[in-house]
Amino acid sequence: MKTWSIAALLCFLPCAAATAQDLNETSKDPKQWVMAPRDYANTRYSDLDQITKDNVAKLQLAWSFSLGIPKGQEAAPLIVGDTMFIVSPFPNKVFALDATSGDLKWAYVPATDPASQGVACCDVVTRGLAYDRGRVFLATLDNHVVAIDANTGQEVWNTKIGDINLGETVTMAPLVVKGKVLVGDSGGELGVRGKLTAVDEGSGKILWRAFSTGPDQDVLIGSEFKPFYDQFKGKDLGVSSWPPDAWKIGGGTIWGWISYDPQLNLIYYGVGNPGPWNPNQRPGDNLWTTAIFARNPDTGQARWAYQLNPHDLWDHDEINENVLLDLNIDGKDRKTLVHPGRNGYMYVIDRESGEVISADAYDTVNAYLGVDVKTGRPTPNPAKIAPLGKPAQDVCPASPGAKDWQPVAWSPRTRLLYVPHQHLCMNYQATEVGYIAGTPYVGATVDMYAGPGGYRGEVAAWDPVKRTKVWANKENFPAWSGALVTKGDIAFYGTMDRWFKAVDATNGKELWRFRAGSGIIGQPVSFQGKDGRQYIAILSGVGGWPGVVANAEVDPRVRNGALGFTGAMQDLAAHTAAGSDLLVFALPSDVAQPSQAAPSQAAPPPAPPQPQPQPPARQPRPRRHGRP
Amino acid sequence: MRQAALLFSLLLAPAALAQQHAGQPSAGTPRIHEPGNGQPLANVPISNLYPGNVAASPDIQNPLHNDPESVQRGMNNFIAFNCVGCHAPNGGGGMGPSLSDNKWIYGSKPAQIYLTIAQGRPNGMPAWAGMLPSDAIWDLVSYVQSIAEKPSDKLGKTISPTSPSIEQVPAEFVSSPTPWRMTEPFSSGRQPGTKK
Repeated sequence: MKTWSIAALLCFLPCAAATAQDLNETSKDPKQWVMAPRDYANTRYSDLDQITKDNVAKLQLAWSFSLGIPKGQEAAPLIVGDTMFIVSPFPNKVFALDATSGDLKWAYVPATDPASQGVACCDVVTRGLAYDRGRVFLATLDNHVVAIDANTGQEVWNTKIGDINLGETVTMAPLVVKGKVLVGDSGGELGVRGKLTAVDEGSGKILWRAFSTGPDQDVLIGSEFKPFYDQFKGKDLGVSSWPPDAWKIGGGTIWGWISYDPQLNLIYYGVGNPGPWNPNQRPGDNLWTTAIFARNPDTGQARWAYQLNPHDLWDHDEINENVLLDLNIDGKDRKTLVHPGRNGYMYVIDRESGEVISADAYDTVNAYLGVDVKTGRPTPNPAKIAPLGKPAQDVCPASPGAKDWQPVAWSPRTRLLYVPHQHLCMNYQATEVGYIAGTPYVGATVDMYAGPGGYRGEVAAWDPVKRTKVWANKENFPAWSGALVTKGDIAFYGTMDRWFKAVDATNGKELWRFRAGSGIIGQPVSFQGKDGRQYIAILSGVGGWPGVVANAEVDPRVRNGALGFTGAMQDLAAHTAAGSDLLVFALPSDVAQPSQAAPSQAAPPPAPPQPQPQPPARQPRPRRHGRP
Repeated sequence: MRQAALLFSLLLAPAALAQQHAGQPSAGTPRIHEPGNGQPLANVPISNLYPGNVAASPDIQNPLHNDPESVQRGMNNFIAFNCVGCHAPNGGGGMGPSLSDNKWIYGSKPAQIYLTIAQGRPNGMPAWAGMLPSDAIWDLVSYVQSIAEKPSDKLGKTISPTSPSIEQVPAEFVSSPTPWRMTEPFSSGRQPGTKK
């Protein structure tokens, strides 16, 4: 019997203390995929190796399922035991399917308010579900957190955590830590006051709420708070770094990823942009927008914080994932978190203290001149600050940053991060904007386009110790899907022009590709079926911020549409239309060998550092050019 | 009304605009039920299906259609009330549908556009009747009609590597209530031709 079901039976209701440990252990079972980022460290690494470089070319579709909602499909499937759980974009239907056969077990259809679509900034996406102790946790676009019985599909409780008339929505995948369902909010383009909410998984009661702006009491900054840098020490900085009352409508939403270190008992997450985008209306550093928080999950109290982009000028949210890695840096073992910044820098940060160890550009960056790790501050490029009333031109990276929400994967075998990202620059005109609750609070006319070289996306392998790009595959469109890497040393990702690709994780060489029905912006996952075969699952269905040109009423001839993303995506509809298909792949039965998967009880310790597959380049230098 | 006036004067609009909206409508300013010469706006259909083939479509004109400044005022309102945040500069679309083409989900007639703004629509269009005075909405109707592409004799549009062939000069360089008067070759996601 599998770990999860034992846990579910023994701990059906009252063993909260053991819960986190259980989910932590279960997440290491390579047969399952129990949380969107695969594990609390957010590695997205699968310990399955039935699919190898030698046989991956034979990978074929095993089954598929249509979600029936032709909007952006950004969600990660979860696989718990033999069941797959998947969620659609608005109205956020949930489906439970037999993970091997594709048989539909149940569907849950919430009565999500259609009006919530009008306050969702960038398509009506969701990034996935959470699971713990026999329950599936859904966060709907209209701010409901719902507990669903994983076996029956029956609703157990639902709790409202936000208000669409304040511009609030939810798009992130919740994460369960120690019996608490952690959910942030979206609405950084609507003057929302960002917050992270902890909901009790048993009762649905709200246990704590940590705001991103305002007085320390609301931000849950107290005596435990020990930031590394001096500019983060002081009382009520979430008030004093703003014009009077501007923090109340100052953004700082939380719609990306949460990681958790059970040993340190700390959760980590990134905070979104300040509102409005127009920086002239909010003099000051605008804390704690674009910051990373470390918090105690029991109380929500902050341990440290680090703001990446003080007084953000460009909508450089920092909600991107924080991958928890133990790295040997300059001869010392460091507990780090690696944060691929939206500002274009790959941050390696000491996750105990909040000290920046290194920050290196991984794409074209001219908005800043670098990051001073001594002060923790980036240096804005004065040449890119336009006179009042004039647009700033050729600013790189553009507003979605060098990388947006699409999560990286980390292989403990190659010791490389696999980074799907954008390659975009922009013109940016700040404009006056007034706050009206429930309407956009942006104040910027933006126009994005392909960066130098004419391509718009890239999937790169990055060595966080050597601080170099080892290989890179250019993509015509932004690489807006997440990445997966497996023990077979294969990295998987999808493209907006409808390819799902498998590449050699050591050098980026393409090994296999599949033509999907619609562009891919989802999160690939891997699991083992009842039949002993290794499966790879991904959603197809273009959308998200860059994809609305192809799935909604957006005019490709008006460049400033979709908060400026139209300019960069004008030709997308000539490559794909909307879709909503779950695609599940496996090797043919006669090719699939019995898996060498580790036993499900406990995952092996991370493999010792492997010899580098090849000498990394000294400078970031893509090895491949153009599309294959 | 009071909320709208407050917003105008505190945050947004030029003083002249604030004055115009702050007080009671002046003698010449049309009220919501007046423009149809007694025909109620409530009878304006949003559908093109009429049971029994009996159309109830009162011919209600925009009472400001002869006002040469209405389009510009509408553009100011479009920005001041954050319509631009959803529908984008020049109505290119994003959170809300594009207004720059000639496709109309809820009807292209002035009274239909008026009602869409005043009542809102279920899939995300907010209901503005509680916040905006009727003449501010009619100005928005003037502007929305001004930025829409002219109707063509073609039923549809082609999307291909060579179509569309033009784009508007982007709004970071030119601000105009008639953006279709300034176009340049389609850039296919590359930097726009205009640079200043």
